[in-house]
Amino acid sequence: MDTTNSIKKSSKVGNYVVYAILIIWVLVNLFPVYWMFTFSLKDNAEIFGENVVGLPTKWLWSNYVKALNSGDMGRYFVNSIIVSVSTIVITIAAAFMATFAMTRIYWKGRDTMYKFFMLGLTIPIHASIVPIYITLSKVKMLNSYQALIVPYAAFSLAMAILIASGFMNEIPKELDEAARIDGCGIWKTFFYVIVPLMKPAVSTIGIYTFLQCWNELMFASVFNSGDKFKTLPAGVQEMSGRYTTEWGPIGAALVIATFPTLIVYIFLSKKIQSSFIAGAVKG
Amino acid sequence: MKKIISAILTGAMAISLVACGSTDTAAPADTAAPADAAATEAPATDASTGTIDLTMWCIATESDSNRHSYEAAIADVTAAHPEINFQWEAIENQAYKTKIKAAVAADEMPDIFFTWSCAFLGDFVDAGRVYCLDEEYKNFSSELPEVMLGNTTYDGKHYGVPLTMNIVGLFANMDILSEAGYDEVPGTYEEFIACCDKLKANGVIPFGCAGKETWCVTEYLESVIEKSAGADVLNDIFLGRATWANDDVKGAVDTFQELVGNGYFDPNGIALTNDEVKANFMAGKYAFYMNGTWNCADFAAQEGLNVKVSEFPVINADKSKLGELIGGPSDTLAVAASSPNAAVAAQFTFELGKEICHYGYLDGCGLPAWTPYYDTSSINPLTNTVSDICANASTYVLFGDTAMSADDATIYLSYVDQVYGCMIDGQGFVDGLAADIR
Amino acid sequence: MKKKKLYTAINVTAFLLPALLLFVGVLIFPIIMSGVYSLYDWNGIGAKEFILFDNYKELFTSKNLRFMKALVNSLLLAFFSVFIQLPISLGLALTLGKGRKGERFFLSVFFAPVLISTVVIGQLWLKMYNPDYGIINMAIRLITGNPDFGPIWLGDPKLALGAAFVPILWQYVGYHMLLMYAGVKSVPVELREAAMLDGASQGQVNRYVVIPCMKGILKVSVIFAVTGSLKSFDLIYVLTNGGPFKATEVPSIIMIRELFIGGKYGMGSTIAVMLIVLCFAFALIINRIFKQED
Repeated sequence: MDTTNSIKKSSKVGNYVVYAILIIWVLVNLFPVYWMFTFSLKDNAEIFGENVVGLPTKWLWSNYVKALNSGDMGRYFVNSIIVSVSTIVITIAAAFMATFAMTRIYWKGRDTMYKFFMLGLTIPIHASIVPIYITLSKVKMLNSYQALIVPYAAFSLAMAILIASGFMNEIPKELDEAARIDGCGIWKTFFYVIVPLMKPAVSTIGIYTFLQCWNELMFASVFNSGDKFKTLPAGVQEMSGRYTTEWGPIGAALVIATFPTLIVYIFLSKKIQSSFIAGAVKG
Repeated sequence: MKKIISAILTGAMAISLVACGSTDTAAPADTAAPADAAATEAPATDASTGTIDLTMWCIATESDSNRHSYEAAIADVTAAHPEINFQWEAIENQAYKTKIKAAVAADEMPDIFFTWSCAFLGDFVDAGRVYCLDEEYKNFSSELPEVMLGNTTYDGKHYGVPLTMNIVGLFANMDILSEAGYDEVPGTYEEFIACCDKLKANGVIPFGCAGKETWCVTEYLESVIEKSAGADVLNDIFLGRATWANDDVKGAVDTFQELVGNGYFDPNGIALTNDEVKANFMAGKYAFYMNGTWNCADFAAQEGLNVKVSEFPVINADKSKLGELIGGPSDTLAVAASSPNAAVAAQFTFELGKEICHYGYLDGCGLPAWTPYYDTSSINPLTNTVSDICANASTYVLFGDTAMSADDATIYLSYVDQVYGCMIDGQGFVDGLAADIR
Repeated sequence: MKKKKLYTAINVTAFLLPALLLFVGVLIFPIIMSGVYSLYDWNGIGAKEFILFDNYKELFTSKNLRFMKALVNSLLLAFFSVFIQLPISLGLALTLGKGRKGERFFLSVFFAPVLISTVVIGQLWLKMYNPDYGIINMAIRLITGNPDFGPIWLGDPKLALGAAFVPILWQYVGYHMLLMYAGVKSVPVELREAAMLDGASQGQVNRYVVIPCMKGILKVSVIFAVTGSLKSFDLIYVLTNGGPFKATEVPSIIMIRELFIGGKYGMGSTIAVMLIVLCFAFALIINRIFKQED
């Protein structure tokens, strides 16, 4: 009994240390975001010395007007959403179908096919930039949403199939049998039995795919050079080239690019994390 | 007035000597064919056919000196052409080079695009992607002297509309210099170095140079090489007529590295962009700033900033002399061969180029390639000094990365970068370039 | 029987078709094409010249390209990623995974940087590193009391690589943490309690019970960290674009420069092929190492 007590005591001290470390790490994560937010509302004089870390003395919302008007951040944001959502939809549809073919239908070579898709996990997206670029330009598809959606979907596929097969393997095979006895064909089984049960996989694949295409810079800046279809990463990069010496509007652009996702995350963090974790476990 | 024109013409003559004959591959025939086809339907400016869409890409971003002249010129020319629906986009210099090259490779160019002359445009002309302007030029030959087209003429055909011409200038913040006891920029190299030492002792950084953009380093390095080895030598090397393995060039690179080693350059500049360095200079952080004379506009417009522009002093008087300059007409507009309205775009480009030149000259963004038809009495003193310098010019060497093909220019810039970082010395520089550039 | 086989074949094809089209058309086929282009000297607009392996030879010998230096840089990043970033992630995952007050809050905050666009993080750190006005140097000046002191983080060839690595490593700590947290949570509670009853300390439980159970996830994390480092691009591009004086170059930075500034499509493709080969090789090696451990 004594020993457990002393363990408890020492672990109490340890506990404080652990919390101290955790809180330091929280600050390391939150401070840059806080600093970004405050300097997006300041002018250079404040940022450069008068008031470095405090809240802005005069809240310069005009920085946001600049970022939205001449920086066009609003449009880039919408573009990013269009590209991400379309990519997610295509990826999930293709991955569900392929996974169904590889886990629920019995045919020779299905394991080989699965391994073939898994090659995609380690292939860097950059490696195919030249041929994709040349093909896109030949079919006049540069500067469009498809120019990003199609490659993003292709590169998200391996991960999506990996996760989907984890989920699908957990659905009892008896359900298929039952459906067949009820007279369902393969297609009906897929759409009415399997897909509805795959709902948790949708959010998991959605998150992994989102993380991949929301951040992507190389394809985004090379394939979509026009303003019209540019996504956030390329837009932010260009905007900061335009306002190198004025920090306020850049800060505003960064905030516009960041806060909507963070706000959604605050409300859905539990769901997002559990879906992400599901991916790790199932994969 | 007369003086300025004569200055420009002398400049132009000198430039025409340098003109890029290097792209001697025959211009592909397919550029000529659409030109003719388009020319027959050229008067498509018929109101009944509706509006014509024209797009343009350029580098006149908000922080660019040329911004105002583009805006003013575009307002004028689009007002005169209600039938044209004109859209334009400005991209930051460094990013633009990537973007336009990618667009040319993909044949996804806008109708009208900004380009640098000589090899930069030459690569595109070789690929058959640029519309030949000979037909439309006839309407403007009285206003645009043919000598000004030297750098954009390939195989006897004209492919570019020049805007302004610029040289590399040594800008000096006179307030800082006078604190060190100078009321003029020192004229000889020895005095100049003594001045830098004095500035350093006063706690002032002599030079600002953006290390993040290698072309800014070349503005310094090329001037040092030219004033050590002579303009003709440098021209021959840039245009591939002579080898890089040249002792004078090697010595000049060592001289440049002495300047770096002496701590004349702002170490912070290595991680900065040109816009940031320029802002630092205008805020009085540096005594000198070597860059293109397009900056005259911004420096003249900044109140309370007392700047003078001059030529870099001669380092080796046996090989070089004053009047040997870096620069020439480089800023150019060109028309894509793929444009569905190429002939209309060409006519529009000439009109636009003339106006950009007009406003650009009045603003102080450079000397005009087009003969001025307007009152020039309001030109700022900095630009007038540049005119004087050009009036006494004997030889021009075009910016190295413009004169060389893209392939060679990347190699060249990579070596320049290594020189600035003192990773290689003069010997390493000439050996490396002689081996890597064929 | 034959009919059924045919029926299955048709269905399998139909179900696989969208994924196969995407995967082969946009991934496998372009990579084969990259391999083909890498054998040519080609500027993208002119004629191609077949030069066999000259691009590969040049890649490894050219003093001007300095590919080996770039490769070493990315391997260094991989090293730091595995031996600094992942241990931090693991530590956080283990402390949070055993269940403590505020677990949800900490998890949420630590994962948040993953959701911020890499470019935003790059731009933000660019400002933080600014030698004159950046928050980092301002803090250093305040602490040291020396108003002139402050390194040029991204402009000093000796510091730049390290400075560029910090945000790269920082951003994805949360990503790996959450993966590993899932691993920790998947360890049956009974197992943990049994070990505790046997008198094992918290550290011993982690070392002998929890970590061995999450080997699969650790392997995935290591593979992601290493291949991610080999193909790192975004943050370096934003922060230094390979400078100062090539000190922070990584293979993909050279690739993009060769491709779209130098117009050397052949050489760009060669680097692309090298990237794939390296990523595969490392994935295989890591797999092998984890297998040997068993």
